Amino acid sequence: MNHWPGIRRIFRLDRGEVQRGVDEELQFHFQMKVEELLRRGLSSVAARAEAERCFGDVTGTRDQLTTIDRSRERGEQRRERFGNAAQDLRWALRGLRMRPWFAAAVVVTLGLGIGANVTMFGVVDRLLFRPPAYLTRPAEVNRVYLMRTIEGRERAMAALAYPRYQDLSKWTATVAHSAAVFDNHLAFGTGELVQQLPVEEVSASFWSFFAARPVLGRFFLPDEDRAPTGTAVAVLGYDYWHTTLGGSTSVIGTQLRIGRQSYTVIGVAPRGFMGMDTEAPAAFLPITAAAAAEYGGGDQYAQGYGRIWMSMVIRRKPGVTAAQATTDLTNAYLRSNTVQQILQFGAPRADVEHLRALAAPLLAQRGPNQSSDSKVALWLIAVAAIVLIIACANVGNLLLARALSRRREVAVRLALGISRSRLAGQLLIESLLLATLGGILGLAIADWGGTIIRRSFLPDAAAVSTWTDLRVVSFTVLAVLVAGAVAGIVPAIQTTRADITTALKAGAQEGGYARSRVRTVLLIVQGSLTLVLLVGAGLFVRSLQRAEATHLGYDASRVLLVGVGMRGTALSDSALQQLMWRMMTLARERPDVEAAARIVSVPFQLSLEERLFVSGIDSVTKLGSFDAQYVSGDYFRTMGTAIVRGMPITDAQSTDSSRVMVVSQSMARALWPHADPIGQCVRIRADTVPCTWVIGVAEDIKTSSLIHDPGLMYYLPVGLAGSDGGVFIRTRGDAVLRAEAIRRALQRTAPGEAFVRVTPFASIIDHQTRSWRLGATMFTVFGGLALLVAAVGLYSVIAYGVAQRRHEMGVRMALGAGGGDVLRLVLGQALRTVLVAVAIGIATALIAARWIEPLLFGVSPRDPATLVGCSVLMLMIAAAASAGPALRAARVDPNSALRAE
Amino acid sequence: MADLDLLQGTLDLLVLKALTWGPQHGYAVVRWVSETTEDDLQIQEGALYTSLHRMEKRGWLVSRWGLSDNNRKAKFYQLTPAGRRQLRRESERWSRYARAIARVLQTA
Repeated sequence: MNHWPGIRRIFRLDRGEVQRGVDEELQFHFQMKVEELLRRGLSSVAARAEAERCFGDVTGTRDQLTTIDRSRERGEQRRERFGNAAQDLRWALRGLRMRPWFAAAVVVTLGLGIGANVTMFGVVDRLLFRPPAYLTRPAEVNRVYLMRTIEGRERAMAALAYPRYQDLSKWTATVAHSAAVFDNHLAFGTGELVQQLPVEEVSASFWSFFAARPVLGRFFLPDEDRAPTGTAVAVLGYDYWHTTLGGSTSVIGTQLRIGRQSYTVIGVAPRGFMGMDTEAPAAFLPITAAAAAEYGGGDQYAQGYGRIWMSMVIRRKPGVTAAQATTDLTNAYLRSNTVQQILQFGAPRADVEHLRALAAPLLAQRGPNQSSDSKVALWLIAVAAIVLIIACANVGNLLLARALSRRREVAVRLALGISRSRLAGQLLIESLLLATLGGILGLAIADWGGTIIRRSFLPDAAAVSTWTDLRVVSFTVLAVLVAGAVAGIVPAIQTTRADITTALKAGAQEGGYARSRVRTVLLIVQGSLTLVLLVGAGLFVRSLQRAEATHLGYDASRVLLVGVGMRGTALSDSALQQLMWRMMTLARERPDVEAAARIVSVPFQLSLEERLFVSGIDSVTKLGSFDAQYVSGDYFRTMGTAIVRGMPITDAQSTDSSRVMVVSQSMARALWPHADPIGQCVRIRADTVPCTWVIGVAEDIKTSSLIHDPGLMYYLPVGLAGSDGGVFIRTRGDAVLRAEAIRRALQRTAPGEAFVRVTPFASIIDHQTRSWRLGATMFTVFGGLALLVAAVGLYSVIAYGVAQRRHEMGVRMALGAGGGDVLRLVLGQALRTVLVAVAIGIATALIAARWIEPLLFGVSPRDPATLVGCSVLMLMIAAAASAGPALRAARVDPNSALRAE
Repeated sequence: MADLDLLQGTLDLLVLKALTWGPQHGYAVVRWVSETTEDDLQIQEGALYTSLHRMEKRGWLVSRWGLSDNNRKAKFYQLTPAGRRQLRRESERWSRYARAIARVLQTA
């Protein structure tokens, strides 16, 4: 019926379905048109020509139509796919609404897992990875450390003297910029409103490290940061300006009292700018101006190499590696050291102490002096990841149980023609939806948990809002995707592998049980990881116990440390001494104070050394490093340090500067191993001065480290001390509760603008035990979390198994098995699984022991008591979790179980 | 080709109008348009097909395959509710336009 092979030929090219459609449509048109023209009496050739003429550009139109249709087709496919996803999402939501408890269990489990990870990520990111805000090209920026080898151990010091900074800046060729930085706390304002706030004292070159513009005014210039005294100008931190000063623009040009002098406000730093500090500074001050005002003696800080306080930050020139900068800085340091040798007697010798400099990462926690806090924090990241794995395994298990109970439904849908990929997609969308809800919960947990961790354990980590922080939110999204995929993948594979015919033929009670092998494996994974966490928790708890039970030689919980900030109120040395005596006397009169004493050095904060000379000993220094303390009467009673022999120092001796001293037991042993220390003569500062007589021996105290402390300590009357020091107060009852009342009472004695600081001594000690407390707390929280999740997982697997095997139990009981037999059977199976998990867990813990050992205190990472205790705990929890379903199995009524089939 | 936009809008309007009386295949639309306009408008038939396909993509028309009166396979087009709305809007606009032009020409 086709008269027009020519037309046919044009359309013969087969370019897919769309093309064929267009061709058929046009073919129909031409057939109709030509027939009509033929009817009108045209010849067939003329009719064809006329039809083509009427139509216009045939090939062009055909291409155009094809293009339009293709694009329409693509749009429809896109809509369909999107519609599918939307439909799957609705389907998943409906499924969750129908089983709210299931959904809640899964969301909470994932939420806790994700929350733990986001919390730890937030903390560790701030400690170790996030560069300071506004810092340009952070990879080029280094902190300079000076390395000295003392007693065979190389020590890194981030602190250096101002002249050293000038030398290193001057004599290096690989450094593009260098800056002096000192993070300090100074008193702001006057009178009632005075408060201690963080400030960052920086050189003018500091600003060139950042791409920050002041929101108001300007930053300070090199001219305003010229040694020795600089110019007293201040750039305010955004938060301090905005919150405390009300964000007024008229603040520029006003005077602000910071520390000992007034500063003219010249600018406000942008929002979120914290310089290189870990807490937002209230103000940035020229380091020369602040140092001249705060450290006494005007330009003293700029003179010698002995005042070691500030840190140095450099930006390397483009193309210079950190190793090259290290070499360059080391040469400059050695050159600077030769200058120092001339100026300063007893300066460290380059050949003896192997002096060198080091260009290390800017973040202090990534430098050579990483604290054990951040090492523990890194461990906790791994622990949090394990918690998430356990949570995913558990959710996978729950989803799998649900998928297995829907086997028939799935088989029916497959039989009705749904594609397997679409089905797997539905299951994945379901688990991703659950993970997303878990992620939202996780962010809430992290927001709350992160604040607590930072406040209690890691004050060095800067605070960032969890909800609005891009890095934290991105990490959460990543955790959600991973958790959703991991938890959903096993059920999706299992479900879509289902064999339609067997599933359709089988009754609901059959065929499902064998497949729970996967679930058993998941359970063993959960169980063994949980045991590892429990062991970690146990080890840290025992470390903390040991650390807290360490005999310090004093009783920190009832002691307050009192100090005075003079803030420009000038007092003569003798007036200062009198002020201290006045405060001590006032404290002693209070009913809530048991004893009070003057002191100068403070354990873990400030140590003092004097040169000692003892007849018969060549060099006392060779025997170790002896620390001095200057005390008034009642000191040993205030601290709770026992006098082992002889007498303590009295008030009278400490005021009339009697030449008497008390030494620690270790010091007595070191100096007079074979003689009675009482009555021995020690000459202090020079071997020509009169004797100072030992009148007593005190027990050793810890002053520098809880683990290794030589305990070489001696006590002299406070009247001999060159400086003012403070007062220790022993309260009746808990010191923390009485701190504020005592501070207020003592403040009345302070002259002028001076203010009294009262610090519970326990908070200073707490700092020493912090890493163990962090480890113990977080391992316990995470371990408990894991245990709970694993117990729920075990329960669900056993309960599911029991439900599946109701029929089998019925048969057993019909054949004469008692309830006890069935109970034993079910419990036995559960405990066998857990025992395997425990065995794997212990093996893993033993392998991991090597790495965790340096973080523990007084306990072996292979501590048998901890390993056994955790295993027993785990088995008990497992027994409790499986007891319910086991009892249910034992109570199966064979009659109804067999009839239900 | 300066009047292409006008032409396209007009073509769409004519095609939509052709489909108001029920589903039609492309050739019937072409026939109706050329009969109605007689020789006043010189329209190329290919352009009408382009218009049909374009409006299908925009969702004003839907198409399905069916059999013509003489039992041949043909593609039938039908107005969607969106197409009806478009027809109403476009015909109002066109009448307003024509009235305005006519007014101008009369006063001149």
